[in-house]
Amino acid sequence: MAEGELKLFNYDDIQIGEELGSYEYVLTQEMLDNFRSSVQDPDACFPTLAVKHDATALNMVYDDQTGGVNAGNEVEFFNPPIVGKKIFVTGRIHDKYMRRDKPYMVIEATAVDEDGRMLERLRTYQMKKPDEVGKKWHPQS
Amino acid sequence: MASPIVDNASIPTLTKSVTEESILQFESCGILERENIHNNYELAARRLGTTYTLASGRMSVTFASEALRRFFGPEVFNHSGSVNLKFLRPVKDGDTITVSGSVIQQDAVENGTQVTVQVQCHNQNGDTTAVGQGYATVPQG
Repeated sequence: MAEGELKLFNYDDIQIGEELGSYEYVLTQEMLDNFRSSVQDPDACFPTLAVKHDATALNMVYDDQTGGVNAGNEVEFFNPPIVGKKIFVTGRIHDKYMRRDKPYMVIEATAVDEDGRMLERLRTYQMKKPDEVGKKWHPQS
Repeated sequence: MASPIVDNASIPTLTKSVTEESILQFESCGILERENIHNNYELAARRLGTTYTLASGRMSVTFASEALRRFFGPEVFNHSGSVNLKFLRPVKDGDTITVSGSVIQQDAVENGTQVTVQVQCHNQNGDTTAVGQGYATVPQG
């Protein structure tokens, strides 16, 4: 999706179950090497975590000027991705709710490879009032 | 993991240095060239009031995943593992993050034993930066 077609993100308008961007890419050795180096783990085999499948799916559909803070992640691993294989990702809004007067959104992405192997399912709990977290982190300012 | 898992068994403790370089390298693994609060200092300052480079929560997920993979073994964890982390404090450039945890529950399931591990991440000051659980299904026999 071209950037000009992005919808402006509005928390009130998003719907639970709403589909986000679907996309594909090829995992390269360079991506895997970069990931392993960044986390100091030569055996790390899910560089998909750094690709941030769910956030990428959101950003392919929405222009999110609000931003958010990652309050939590849930990830399930099924099979490590293989270098050179195409990865297909589908994303959706898994949930939205208010907690302590703060708006939360849960985005989810599922990844399979070109052979139909399930790779990973990732969920991110985003708190959509980032300035509130900033105040908590820096109560003196 | 060859031998049966003992209740309260500790997972390997891991310590990771988080630097601006590692944060930016992790962010560079994405497939969208997009600025966010982890790779754009000014954007983070504007949204969160931060004065430092902030690591993605997914880096902590990756660290926890490594500790769990070492505990369960890659053949188990990479095909049945999961991680569920809640982020409590920011992880930033210069931090040293230690991951630790222990087995808190074991449940018989159809194809083996589902093992639940309580996981926590601490920074160099002893502050808890993330808490949660890791899971994997250890096959019978």
